[in-house]
Amino acid sequence: MDITHSEHKHHESFISKYLFSRDHKMIAKQFMITGFTMGFIGIIMSVLFRLQLGWPGEKFLINDLLLGSWANGGVIAPDKYLALVTMHGTIMVFFMLTAGLSGTFSNLLIPLQIGARDMASGFINMLSYWIFFVSCIVMLVSLGVEGGAASSGWTIYPPLSALPEAIPGSGLGMTLWLVSMALFITSSLIGSLNYIVTILNLRTKGMTFTRLPLTIWSFLVTAILGVLSFPVLLSAVLLLVFDRSFGTSFYLSDIYIGGQALERFGGSPILFEHLFWFLGHPEVYIVLLPSLGITSEIVSTMSRKPIFGYKFMIGSILAIGGLSFIVWGHHMFVTGMNPFLGAVFTITTLLIAIPSAIKVFNYLTTLWRGNIIFSPAMLFSIGLISTFITGGLTGLILGDATLDINVHDTYFVVGHFHIVMGLSAVFGTFAGVYHWFPKMFGKMMNNTWGQIHFWITIVTAYGVFFPMHFLGLAGVPRRYYTNSSFPMFDDFVNLNEIISIFAIIAFIGQFIFIFNFLYSIFKGRKASQNPWSSNTLEWTTPVEHIHGNWPGEIPEVHRWPYDYNKPGYEEFIPQNVPLKKGEVESV
Amino acid sequence: MENNLSIYNYEFSENKKAKEPLLWIGLVSIIMFFAGLTSAVIVSSTSSTWKIFTLPNTFWYSSIAIIISSITFQLGYSFVKKNNLLLPKLLFISTLILGFTFVYFQYEGLSYLYQQGIYATGNKSTTSSSYLYVLTVLHIFHLFFGIISLGVVTTKSLMNKYNSSNFLGIKLSLTYWHFLGILWLYLFMFLTIMMSK
Ligand code: HEM
Ligand SMILES: [Cu+2]
Repeated sequence: MDITHSEHKHHESFISKYLFSRDHKMIAKQFMITGFTMGFIGIIMSVLFRLQLGWPGEKFLINDLLLGSWANGGVIAPDKYLALVTMHGTIMVFFMLTAGLSGTFSNLLIPLQIGARDMASGFINMLSYWIFFVSCIVMLVSLGVEGGAASSGWTIYPPLSALPEAIPGSGLGMTLWLVSMALFITSSLIGSLNYIVTILNLRTKGMTFTRLPLTIWSFLVTAILGVLSFPVLLSAVLLLVFDRSFGTSFYLSDIYIGGQALERFGGSPILFEHLFWFLGHPEVYIVLLPSLGITSEIVSTMSRKPIFGYKFMIGSILAIGGLSFIVWGHHMFVTGMNPFLGAVFTITTLLIAIPSAIKVFNYLTTLWRGNIIFSPAMLFSIGLISTFITGGLTGLILGDATLDINVHDTYFVVGHFHIVMGLSAVFGTFAGVYHWFPKMFGKMMNNTWGQIHFWITIVTAYGVFFPMHFLGLAGVPRRYYTNSSFPMFDDFVNLNEIISIFAIIAFIGQFIFIFNFLYSIFKGRKASQNPWSSNTLEWTTPVEHIHGNWPGEIPEVHRWPYDYNKPGYEEFIPQNVPLKKGEVESV
Repeated sequence: MENNLSIYNYEFSENKKAKEPLLWIGLVSIIMFFAGLTSAVIVSSTSSTWKIFTLPNTFWYSSIAIIISSITFQLGYSFVKKNNLLLPKLLFISTLILGFTFVYFQYEGLSYLYQQGIYATGNKSTTSSSYLYVLTVLHIFHLFFGIISLGVVTTKSLMNKYNSSNFLGIKLSLTYWHFLGILWLYLFMFLTIMMSK
């Protein structure tokens, strides 16, 4: 106690500077560290259950070490396998790629790129982080409770989630999942409010909407999607809590447990699916859009060319955001949906291909004949473009009701969404970290290690998820504990082993990143003010962070952010440089 | 990281300009929350076990109370803007009383239903009755924050903290209050239709 006390005296500002900071740059780092830590835990889970899928029933010492009573004798117990899959999905989608990703880059870049001293409300921003932190703790605690963590999948469909007596994970584990998610939603909502208001109200002089960097556009639409969809999830969760704890029957009807009929009538589990996926689909764009924004920025800067079709990029972000609210039914084609309704959802879903294709086309056209600098950030951005294409193509198949019915709930789906959402978003995150590391820490990350990290990651990532499509086409179902009990899947034993081996290498490869990251914070080369010769405003701030971002006046903006190699002018022209005499603005 | 650089000394003052849009976007998220719930009602009402019943009359009284409260609040606000500072005190207090009147009638209405054997939970409840309780109680939950902010406005007004150049606090509270009134009227209408289907 004494030590902490005197510590406190010496660093009077430690608490206000590092813990309860209201500075957006510090809050960004907090989100990053917390989100990535959660992501790391989520990835470990996936490697552990991949061991089971690759070598079913085999004993692994690592299971004993990490899972303890969940894996007696080194083999994961069947019900705990489900808990692991559920927690893996929940953590990756929400904690790592929603809060971790948006929390980091929206916080870091919104004020810096629009020319604001800080977020509209530093207090709400701080609150948003700490509520997120508590929700992480609650989710992690749920791993240790009796019966284990929630096990009904990241989509927590009732009745498994609605009846505490349904399966072991439906008890306290599920309750804590709900508590944690309610906190998470609150944090995410108030965070989004803050992002939107900041972008709408605090742009510096001259920063019109057609001069906004595409990062900011994507963060804006992401936040709007959050404000519109998370409340609906909250309402779904609330009704679920009533069903669980107060004896209502919103989602329950004709239920038998152990041959006993329950006195629950009138509800419908399909109702939950509607409410869940009304959030769920926008959620995949909440995960994806920030990465697309980051990529737009990096692709342009690192090709030393203006982004191709800037206004079309904005249009497609808006179109994707809008369409994402009317496609949720494509997750429910097999719920006995009216075929006509199925056709409607098929059409709306396929429509999303148009703005997505526009984005891909524009990325490729920007790269075309650019002076491409293959920095790690650029490599990961190109990686994202690749996964966005390969994952998007299978999306067309799943979006078509007649095709989807054949592969629903198989590994085809797992392959699809990991590539298009998981990998794309993770690649965007890595790209963002490599690119803005100098802005966050004033140091450079090691380039060579970054390159090695990229190549290991992209090869192993495809190695894991590409073969899953074949498993799925052959009918291997998802969320199954083992495939070895079904003779018809015996041909795929080797394929499952190969996938798991790739997963293990992928996991080990990430330590290169972790090492590079930590090493560079302490020992990295000092960054210059504008290491990538970029045009956006964040590079006009001093390398050392200060409150309020700019020591003097906030720079005024005179042009769009993509004046690279403008014919007849300098190689790059930052946004705060006034137009020369006779110069015509590029947009 | 010591900043001899910081000529501009940034203070974390909450940005006044941002308060109104923050409220508005917050309202959007509340709208989506109730939109989610009421569309759930619509989906559930297609079930063959959907039971109908009439809503208590006291819901009409509470509706009248909340409409009048919106008017008194609005009047108080206009007077403050004209720097007439006495009347608003009375008007804000009346608004507060009307707010409590609303809650009282809601409570009466729900107790009446309860006495009729229309329950929120348990095996004698139906989904329709559960929805009715959930929606009205969630509305009151949101109203609770409205009453707190109204209390703050009333107190500050009694302490003469507002005048024709300082009324942002009232405006925010008023916007939220109007929103709650409209939300209730929507819910009342919606429930009337759904419960008689
Ligand atoms: C090394 C990286 C990863 C591996 C090896 C991996 C592997 C898997 C596997 C095998 C499943 C179980 C499929 C099933 O049985 O249904 C799964 C589920 C899932 N994963 Fe991953 N995953 C990885 C990374 C990610 C990432 C980055 C995301 C982020 C979007 C993600 C999101 C999910 C989701 C949402 C589920 C579904 C959980 C559920 O069925 O409830 N995963 N993952
Ligand atoms: Cu979807």
